[in-house]
Amino acid sequence: MTRASGTSGIWRQASAVALGIAVALLIAGVAIAAYNERAYTMQRADEASVQARILAAAVTAALAFEDREAAQEYVNALGANPEVEAASVFDAAGLPFVTYARTAVLAVSSADGFAGPAVSPADGFAASPADGFIDVTAPVVQGGIVLGSVHLRSVTEPFAARLERYGGIALLVTMGVLVVVVLGAAHAALSRANAELRQQASALAEAYQKLKAETEERERAEEALRQSQKMEAIGQLSGGVAHDFNNLLQAMSGCLRLIERKAAVPEIRPLIEAGRQAVDRGAKLTQQLMAFARRQALRPEPVDVEGRLRGMSELLARALRADIELRMELERGLWPIEVDPTQFELAVLNLAVNARDAMPDGGRLLVEGRNLTLSSDLGPQGLGPQGLAQELAGDYVRLSLTDTGQGMSAEVLARAFEPFFTTKGVGQGTGLGLSQVYGFARQSGGTAHIDSTPGQGTSIVLMLPRCLATPAPGGPEPASAAGPGGGRRLLFVEDDPVVGAMMASAIEDLGYVVTRAVSADEALALVERGEEFDLLFTDVVMPGTASGLDLAREVRRLRPAMPILLTSGYNEGAQAGKEFPLLPKPYRVETLADALANLAEGPRVVSS
Amino acid sequence: MPRLPRHRHFRAAALALAVIASAFAGPAAASEQSLEYAVKATYLYKLAPFVEWPAHAHDPQTGTIDLCVVGEDPFGDTLDRAVAGQQLGGRPFAVRRMRVLDPRARCHVMFLGGSAAQTADALRMARGMPVLTVTDAVADPAAMGIVNFVVVDGRVRFEIDAAAAAQNGIAISSKLLDLAVAVHRGGETPR
Repeated sequence: MTRASGTSGIWRQASAVALGIAVALLIAGVAIAAYNERAYTMQRADEASVQARILAAAVTAALAFEDREAAQEYVNALGANPEVEAASVFDAAGLPFVTYARTAVLAVSSADGFAGPAVSPADGFAASPADGFIDVTAPVVQGGIVLGSVHLRSVTEPFAARLERYGGIALLVTMGVLVVVVLGAAHAALSRANAELRQQASALAEAYQKLKAETEERERAEEALRQSQKMEAIGQLSGGVAHDFNNLLQAMSGCLRLIERKAAVPEIRPLIEAGRQAVDRGAKLTQQLMAFARRQALRPEPVDVEGRLRGMSELLARALRADIELRMELERGLWPIEVDPTQFELAVLNLAVNARDAMPDGGRLLVEGRNLTLSSDLGPQGLGPQGLAQELAGDYVRLSLTDTGQGMSAEVLARAFEPFFTTKGVGQGTGLGLSQVYGFARQSGGTAHIDSTPGQGTSIVLMLPRCLATPAPGGPEPASAAGPGGGRRLLFVEDDPVVGAMMASAIEDLGYVVTRAVSADEALALVERGEEFDLLFTDVVMPGTASGLDLAREVRRLRPAMPILLTSGYNEGAQAGKEFPLLPKPYRVETLADALANLAEGPRVVSS
Repeated sequence: MPRLPRHRHFRAAALALAVIASAFAGPAAASEQSLEYAVKATYLYKLAPFVEWPAHAHDPQTGTIDLCVVGEDPFGDTLDRAVAGQQLGGRPFAVRRMRVLDPRARCHVMFLGGSAAQTADALRMARGMPVLTVTDAVADPAAMGIVNFVVVDGRVRFEIDAAAAAQNGIAISSKLLDLAVAVHRGGETPR
């Protein structure tokens, strides 16, 4: 635009110059006309004076010897010249000697005008131009003797006729001025149009840039949406598989337990142990899968992030190698978050292990935590796809773990959160670490994303929503030792026949008297019938009109003193976990024994 | 400016009539007579500008244009008044009067006012000298000066004898010749 204005400045100058030229032309035209007029007048005066001199020379003798006839002839001869309006000869005394006048009217006026010599004869010659006339006086001298004077009145061209003559020049000048003015105006208009065009072009370019940026933004958002949909699909698929698989593992775990008890042959103990370990590993895998699928039963509680991380530093240091420096930069007064502490710790540990593996030659792991408030209209830098900005508006604790390792390529980055996607060698990793992190973050109401540059390192960012509640101090309580059932009556509700049968015998082995039900309705009927139970242990998700949670609520209403333990492989259990103790599936018999023992003691602890 | 050739006829009869009329005019004619001579006195000096004299005709000491009146002086003081203050080519006019022609006297214009015989004598004496001789209404060609005043239609006019002027070595302007009622050239008029 500055260039455009500069150019238009030049054009403005050009039009000013054109105007100047036009004015100069006008002035020149007027000057030429004035000069011509003056030259014409002077020429006519010269001509008239020459004629007067000739007449003066001719009439000398006639005047000297008063031959009016001869003088009149001389004077009348002048009448042949149409420009001579009147001519007179005066004698030495200044009296008219002879007079010639073309018209009678002029004769009178000339007689008035020539009543006496307009100039004294000694002046020699004088011309006085009046409008339309040039009066010339010349002395009549012979041999130095002044004999009289001659007056001549010559008509000049009338002003109108002269104007006509100058009309040609005026027309030319006017045409020239007109052409210059028109050219100037055309230039000005053209320059204005040019400036407008330039402006439009630049506006168009701007609009194009904006459109391009918007298109790119949209593409990014679509890519993010696709990624998110992909993750969702994978999550559903793996969640479903993991759940069924979990039940199978539960059954296998029970079977192994029974085999161990029924066949007291020492040789098979190692086999049983190997089988149990395999089941454990499988259980862990399904657990992580379900964590990714957001189907794990979380027990969210307010967590003090700083305290949690400080408490984990020992654990992290052990997970990392000696050649890796661990630094924590945590903002003072970090907001509390509401997450499952165990899953939180697992996520941090997973990230630390990944960072360690990304830095085979050592490096630095930086754990940063700070408070962040996202507005809904802006997607701040480093928060992932902008499409998430709307969804993520609010207060967050931003937790990032940044390593100085190999970094990730774009392809790896795109798939890093997918379950079973791993860059590690066979047997080195499950491919479920980052997917657990992602699932945990999403399930906790937050998000996770990765910033990575190959060769420079990776930064994994967790955005976890702020929690307004105050976290309970202290870490996880240590599990107490299992105690015997003590012959207490336990109502066990489980729809899966294999799991139900297997677990029922396992619980009986723990010293409980087990009554089985296959649905909440059946269990409720038993309770309502007046059957006495000391404990209720029920699955949450079951076929029938009532869920395990409904059952638990009803039982609490009917028998407020009865301890209740829920179990679930789905995250539907999470809600239940808030109201009742919850044992996530799959669980080991020992874990169940502890939970049951705690449950039995619970009321006592509370009452004491 | 066209110069009109002027043809004039010699009208001796008319001239004679005018002279006789003036001679018998009586007292009333006396003032007319004096007016006529006043005009002639003016003409006398006004002839000078139309005449060119040879260089030796001028006296370097006095440096005047001398008007001589020989014989009877008909002008009186009118001639002196007419030339008073007038100059020709830077030379003032001087009037000399003499009863008879003094051959030693220097004259540029000589008016011969005596009788025809006296005039003829004076003309003879002046022949060959650079003098413009002027006579007043002389009918006899022998007594006629280079310029001879005549009265035509009541106006004073003059005849010019160009041949006599040439004999005297003076040049007369063609303007004057144009105005003359008659011009005698060499051979045209017997002397």
